[in-house]
Amino acid sequence: MIATMNEVLILSGLVFILGAVCAAARRNLIMILVGVEIMLNAAGIALVGASLRWAVLDGQVFVIFIMAFAAAEVSVGLALIVFSQRRTKSVNADSFSLLRG
Amino acid sequence: MKAILALILLLPLCGALFQALLGRAASRRPAEIAACAAIAGSFVCALAAFILGWEQSFTLEFFRWIAVDNFVIAADVFFNPLSSLMALMVTFVSGLIHVYSVGYMREDPDYSRYFCYLNLFVFSMLVIAFADNVVFLFVGWEGVGFCSYALIGFWYSDEEKASAGKKAFLLTRIGDVGFGVAIGLFFVQFSSTSITVINANAGQLTAAMATAMGLLLLWSAVGKSAQLPLTVWLPDAMAGPTPVSALIHAATMVTAGVYLLMRLYPVVALSPDAMTAVAAVGVVTALYAALSALGQRDIKKVLAYSTISQLGYMFLALGAGDISGSMGFLLSHAFYKSLLFLCAGCVIQALHEQGDIYAMGGLRRFMPGVFWLFLAGAVSLAALPPFGGFLNKDRVLAAVFGNPDPVFRVFFIGALAATFLTSLYAFRLFFCVFLRPQAETVHDVRPVPGIMTGPLWPLALLALSAGFLNFAPEWGGGAWLPRFLETVQGSVAHIGIPRESERMIAAVDALLALTAVLLAFVLYGPVRLFGVRGPDARQPARGGLFSALYLDSFYRSFIARPFEVLANILWHVADEKGVDRGIIRSAEIFPNLAAGIRFWTTGKLSTYLGMLFLGFVALLVGLTVTFYLGL
Repeated sequence: MIATMNEVLILSGLVFILGAVCAAARRNLIMILVGVEIMLNAAGIALVGASLRWAVLDGQVFVIFIMAFAAAEVSVGLALIVFSQRRTKSVNADSFSLLRG
Repeated sequence: MKAILALILLLPLCGALFQALLGRAASRRPAEIAACAAIAGSFVCALAAFILGWEQSFTLEFFRWIAVDNFVIAADVFFNPLSSLMALMVTFVSGLIHVYSVGYMREDPDYSRYFCYLNLFVFSMLVIAFADNVVFLFVGWEGVGFCSYALIGFWYSDEEKASAGKKAFLLTRIGDVGFGVAIGLFFVQFSSTSITVINANAGQLTAAMATAMGLLLLWSAVGKSAQLPLTVWLPDAMAGPTPVSALIHAATMVTAGVYLLMRLYPVVALSPDAMTAVAAVGVVTALYAALSALGQRDIKKVLAYSTISQLGYMFLALGAGDISGSMGFLLSHAFYKSLLFLCAGCVIQALHEQGDIYAMGGLRRFMPGVFWLFLAGAVSLAALPPFGGFLNKDRVLAAVFGNPDPVFRVFFIGALAATFLTSLYAFRLFFCVFLRPQAETVHDVRPVPGIMTGPLWPLALLALSAGFLNFAPEWGGGAWLPRFLETVQGSVAHIGIPRESERMIAAVDALLALTAVLLAFVLYGPVRLFGVRGPDARQPARGGLFSALYLDSFYRSFIARPFEVLANILWHVADEKGVDRGIIRSAEIFPNLAAGIRFWTTGKLSTYLGMLFLGFVALLVGLTVTFYLGL
């Protein structure tokens, strides 16, 4: 079965919205990080689709970059979460509110 | 010659540097020796320059200091009989006073600071004596002002003494403003600030400009020489150590004002109005200060007012157009007044810092040496014939009498009255301190070290004899000083008044002085005559003469007090209630403004993310709508 460009973009948009809602609605830091990962993957889907549509490999190359970037981001993000969990005994995002005005 | 002149100036400067850098590291004896040696060396060089440069006048340039276009200021010296004589006097008197200071400050731990300022003072004074450029002269002028300030407030932990220093500094600055303006005018008029050029071209000035310059120079001299209306700092300056009073506030610095007028005499002499003003300031001050001296009870304050009064005579002589009379008076005043001050220092130390003359008396028995020295000083000050002071004063009076301007007749009578008062207060001081029956407060007189009385003998000798330099030919004298100064621009060797008038003036002068001595004897003498009760230490110190005709309190209530009130208003009302409160109030607006929007910053990550997405969605919707509407 051959997916059209529109279908790829709709999938990408849906995945992105799912990720965004996940990141914005959840209070658990790990789930927020998962949401961010999903958004990145949504962008990857769109890039692959575009790469197929115009037959240019750059889009796929970019997806590789995004994956590497995501891996690095997750490792730093998880380290931060572990650190903050040790300090405050919590992974609830709302408990980090020192910058409240 | 150049090397000698440079050495005269540099030795005291090196001495001051030595004291400042190494004085604390060196122990007391080497520091004292270095200080005295610097001045002694400078004196030897000044003497050499005086002999080698006999009757010569020349200008030497050491280095260019500032050179911008045609504005050139060089550190240069103008050597002529006047400046060489002044330098000789300054180095001689200050050398003796340095030796005396070794004895006077023998218990003070701060000897290196003291000698540093003293050496620096001598350097600055010599700059005034020699400088050819008025800007270079101004450096010395301010240098002596600074040293005077630092030495009046030498014992700075005493609030009263420190503020006396400040008062002297501020009041002399008032005069210096006039000097600053005069320097500006000189440059505008002559395109040069060299005294040689100014004096040579003084004739081109318009009458109004000459008067303005003369009055400005008079104003600056008035500040430095403590003449009316800026007299009030000098009596307070007595808070400093006594050798400082002798050197700075009697012999040298206060005469700098007169000396400045002598240096720039061709400019001042152009304007008859300025000359009359100089003489008027002199005679009024001489009378005023002599009256005030009569009411003083502190031995140093009597001498301070006496200094002001004698400086008035120098101004009077200069205003009458007689440089050599003024210079002769300056020289002999330097000798006898520093002598009197140094004797007063001995007395004060011997009596454990007691300065009230009514609490003294009968000191002749305890300090016979100082008694004779003080007598020599008092005789010279009172101008008793036939000693030096008499001849000098005679020359001044003759010059005033010989001036054709009728107003000088009034000045002449004023000067005669001041002569009488001078003699009266001089011997009041002498009798009260040395000859009155001993007051019960006098006991336990401390012996004074020989190093303090030794330097006074040459001063006494010169005080008694210096006037003979002015010995008029009418009396068989040679008039050596006027002849020596003949080459100085504006100087007159001989005052052209008839021989009879000359003799008449001398007779009246001598009679007045002797009458005053007799009056002082009756009022304050060792024996009670005509039932006159002598003064008593228990009497309260007040009255018009004691307060110097209330001039100080006049300034306090009419200048200082309104200033203080105005400053208080500006401080409490304008600054605290106006500026400060305005700024605090306007700053309060911002927290109130911020209160309206601070709920946006919740500090919660989810809120921020939600807002980010909302904004993103709004952006996309906006783009989509504009795309489909084809805008």
